[in-house]
Amino acid sequence: MTERTLTPILDVRNVCKSFGKVYALEDVSLKIFPSEIVGVVGENGAGKTTLMKSLVGIHVPEKGEWYDKGVKAAFPKDPKDAAKKGISIVYQERGVVPSLQVYQFLFLGNEEKYVGAFGLQIPRMKKAAQEIIDEFHIKCDIEDFMFELPLSTQKMVEIARAVVNIRLEQNKQDADSVIILDEPTAPLNIEERHELLNEIVRLKANCSFVFVTHIMQEVMEYMDRVIVLRDGRQVGEYDMATNKVTENELVRMILGKDIDGQEKIQRIPSRVDNSETVLSSKELSKRGSYYNISFDLSKGECLGVLGSAGSGKSELIETIAGINGYDEGDLLIRGKSTKNHELPYARLKKGVGYFSGEIANELFYDWPITKNISILNIEKIVTKIFHFLNFKTEKTLAADISKQLRIKTPNVNITVSSLSGGNKQKVTVGKWLEKKPDILLLEDPTIGIDVGAREDIYETILNMKEQGISMILVSDDPKEYSALCDRVLMMQQGKAQKIISKEELKEVLQT
Amino acid sequence: MSLSNNNEKMSIGRFISETVASPTRIPFVVVIAVILIFQLMNPTFLSYQGLVTLVYSMSYFLIAACGLTFVVMMGSFDFSSISVMKFSALLCVLYIDDFGLWIIPITLLCCAIIGFVSGFLVAKLGVPSFMATLGISIVVDGISLLMSKGFLHLMEHEGFRSISTTFIAGIPSVFHWSIAIWVLCAVLAATTPFGRRTYAIGGNARAAVLSGINLDSQRIQVFMLSGLLAGAAGVFYMSQLGGGSVEIGGQMMIPLFASVVAGGTSLRGGTGGPQNTLLGVIIITWIQSGLRMMGTGMETQMVILGLIAIGMSIATTDRNKFRRVIVK
Amino acid sequence: MSMVNRKKSLTILSVVKNYPVIIIFFGLIILFSILYHQRFLSPANLTATLRQFITLMLFSVGPTFVMLLGSMDQSFIGIWMLGSAFLWLLTPIIGPVALLVFPLFGLVSGLCIGAIHVKLRIPSFILTLSVLIIYWGLTAIISKGNPRNVPGYSFLTDDIIPFVPTPLLYSIPIILLSVFIVKRTKLGTYFYAIGSNEEGARLAGINVEKYKIVAFALSGLFSGIGSIVLFQHLGGTVPVSFSMNNVVRPLIAIILGGTPLSGGRGGPQRTILGALTFSVIYRGLYLSTLGAEVIDLIVGLILIISIVISSKGGELRGVEVA
Repeated sequence: MTERTLTPILDVRNVCKSFGKVYALEDVSLKIFPSEIVGVVGENGAGKTTLMKSLVGIHVPEKGEWYDKGVKAAFPKDPKDAAKKGISIVYQERGVVPSLQVYQFLFLGNEEKYVGAFGLQIPRMKKAAQEIIDEFHIKCDIEDFMFELPLSTQKMVEIARAVVNIRLEQNKQDADSVIILDEPTAPLNIEERHELLNEIVRLKANCSFVFVTHIMQEVMEYMDRVIVLRDGRQVGEYDMATNKVTENELVRMILGKDIDGQEKIQRIPSRVDNSETVLSSKELSKRGSYYNISFDLSKGECLGVLGSAGSGKSELIETIAGINGYDEGDLLIRGKSTKNHELPYARLKKGVGYFSGEIANELFYDWPITKNISILNIEKIVTKIFHFLNFKTEKTLAADISKQLRIKTPNVNITVSSLSGGNKQKVTVGKWLEKKPDILLLEDPTIGIDVGAREDIYETILNMKEQGISMILVSDDPKEYSALCDRVLMMQQGKAQKIISKEELKEVLQT
Repeated sequence: MSLSNNNEKMSIGRFISETVASPTRIPFVVVIAVILIFQLMNPTFLSYQGLVTLVYSMSYFLIAACGLTFVVMMGSFDFSSISVMKFSALLCVLYIDDFGLWIIPITLLCCAIIGFVSGFLVAKLGVPSFMATLGISIVVDGISLLMSKGFLHLMEHEGFRSISTTFIAGIPSVFHWSIAIWVLCAVLAATTPFGRRTYAIGGNARAAVLSGINLDSQRIQVFMLSGLLAGAAGVFYMSQLGGGSVEIGGQMMIPLFASVVAGGTSLRGGTGGPQNTLLGVIIITWIQSGLRMMGTGMETQMVILGLIAIGMSIATTDRNKFRRVIVK
Repeated sequence: MSMVNRKKSLTILSVVKNYPVIIIFFGLIILFSILYHQRFLSPANLTATLRQFITLMLFSVGPTFVMLLGSMDQSFIGIWMLGSAFLWLLTPIIGPVALLVFPLFGLVSGLCIGAIHVKLRIPSFILTLSVLIIYWGLTAIISKGNPRNVPGYSFLTDDIIPFVPTPLLYSIPIILLSVFIVKRTKLGTYFYAIGSNEEGARLAGINVEKYKIVAFALSGLFSGIGSIVLFQHLGGTVPVSFSMNNVVRPLIAIILGGTPLSGGRGGPQRTILGALTFSVIYRGLYLSTLGAEVIDLIVGLILIISIVISSKGGELRGVEVA
């Protein structure tokens, strides 16, 4: 740790940024020294993205100081300016341009440096690209197309591209660079994830990294330091080598409260009917995502699938919903095995509904509440003869739901785009409440909404459960499991660890 | 006093911006403007004879436009409507002697099958709808040309002609037919699960899939409906005019497309509908017949209709809403 | 470190893998040579094939730029038609300098189309189709519906080297220039990048809007330059009859060559191959006893088949929408 006494290559202090009246960042400071990986963790909306965007010049903070080797300087104006100051970013997804060759991608946007009398100097570009590929030990040919490379190698090329960008802007080979990685492992599967992380650790010799992630395991194993953000404030900073911090302490710090849930949800009794199995998974496997998952789901039960991001829980629930297929194993709904490539509509006919908190997947923004609720329940609002839509039934249906869920709206003919986030979410819950499928798959059901609305939604979900609907829950918020689940399947790196009861879950979350 | 005056001005300004300039109102405004202009230029424009001519020229066109509207509503495009229409007209005239009036259901079935092929290419093989239907239209044109051998065929079957040319209440029956079909389409779009699903796919395809809509099957059905209606348009075209003109070519897509967007069905999908298309068809046929009365040739009409098509696409696209959508 | 310097061997196999259309090309040549052994390889037919190739190539080189973005430009026929009408108007006034009207008009047209497409967010296929019809109508209005003859430009097709069609000599630098733009300037890289992943290109700091307009402008410009040659090559008169077939054939050449509708791959260098293949197909059909209608029908089928092959199909199961 002697190098920590050196001057930091990135030094920002007391950064403040607000959108409207809400502070997205309040007095956040960040120092990055040469050759280290600094993790930045926090919930969605904690200010991670805003901080990163302030560092690369997409946002300009209202307050804060930027020190360049101890001298006060201005914040970067745009990404190009940030690169001049030695900072560049690798975006989570969509940053790769698949149909370019590696050498073209490395210099994308910086072609001016390689223009000669007869257009681009391809040999010079290739030579420079080869040097970079060698320097970063990337296992690819400079003439490979990006789409031919494995995802982890693509990420490596993206990182190399960020470094090249800084070097070309500063016009020197040994520029101190800080590369911001925005959830780089999110699109990768388990094997690729480890490969990439090991590569990044090796790259510390060349540059420093700011590593935004949700995956605690990555923080524990690979980071040198970690900074915790919550509600725009910096609530903790740990040196992983000296400060022994456990994963659960970290999670508690991120959420800012005890995980077992202090909020009081009305105790709605759970009526699990163990004699009736509605869904069972037999040795289900999907290569690179999850392996040999077996469980039975009883009527009226809520099974949580708990694991860190990247443990395969999302892929598992999407397979059950019919969004993805599986490779091996069998999935039985009410004892009958299903076809592998059934689409969501076919699964819904068998009584399996998929409810995602991601409202872009659920809502038709231009439509009024009525239509958004009835699209899923079209069979309930058609007339007996000719199957016309009965608008009166449609309206009563929507009115009922919005009354039950306390959706704040003058009437049900209002387009959902004008509702607040919490109320939008209630509309999506509402349509599933009306649908009452046998099995409801919940993926992050309360993502990005405030506490009040969250309680209402929990209550609705528990009521549905009481009526005998079985559920499978996947969430990023551990608290949600203790609030909703009867049993929890623990997953790690694609494998099922064990199935624990609600009481055991409390212990697991507390230690 | 001055204050209230100021307020009044503002409210007039707001009235104009809210009623006249909003995208949904544009068709109405255009209809009124078009009627006024042509009436001023040609006093016989709104006469009985003028109206009957208008009704004649818009009837079969309305049917084909309704079919295209469903496809556009879904966010896709059907380039083959005119070719299918031509094909259907030709099928009727060539085989009426063999099948009698049974040729009509046979023709409609053939056209629905063409629609099925387009739908299959789009839904199952992932071909962009515009290019798939462009290819289909060329194949269908080829078949038509092969069947007609390039000759003009005249329809001599009286029963078939009378479908369109009988006058009921002073109006040729083709008008009643097309209005009936239009009403059916409007009802289908607005009050049935089929229509609701079509809007859903145009509005948010991913949400539609997760709401249990069978995307592939729905898309194939919509293309079949479009083929069917284009076929019906061809039948009425033939029974009304009595001769299959080989002259209607790909350029006729422009007035057809223009009337769909002029009605307010955005190319982005999810909005508008056949109920709006009636207005669009009225606008376009009125403009066309107005131009004809003024003695403008086919070419000038195409120039003006092309400009209208572009203008209407611009007017019906809500750019703020789709700022982040990639347009290819 | 050892593996990094592996060179990609340029075997016949890898060429075939990358350019499957080559198999079709040679296969057809062999097939047609056997079927019509006297006529297919005759000098007359070879010249006709070459003429067909020149027409296709000069029409398709411009739209290829736009196709790289995943968009569509159908206005090229319109530029040729309306440009010819302008030429007919201007030649009596300013003499042969009037030829410059083609590239100028093409450039302006491309810029306008690009700006409308990008700024007003109208899908390019419908926009360029409307523009094409407008140009066709304007051509007919200007020439009063008659195929006006414009004399004085036959020097464009006069033989310079025996047996080699002069338009071919002119089209070579045009093709080379287009390949240069795609392969040796940053424009080319940007077009590929935008077609492949528009969002990614934007994140890499590329002004996507600007380069989209540039692509449409280039498309118009190249269609204009090509039309200088095509004008005389196709008869030296103002074309007034319009057929969708003329629009579709160059598009088939582009798609056959390996530039998919989704963009991001291919380029003018590959369109050469597509145009050659399609010319051979077309001449082969022409030599057969099939009627013109059947040939049109087959051309339509070829279009459908080539698009089906070139489009990847839905990646997200059941979620993708065309």
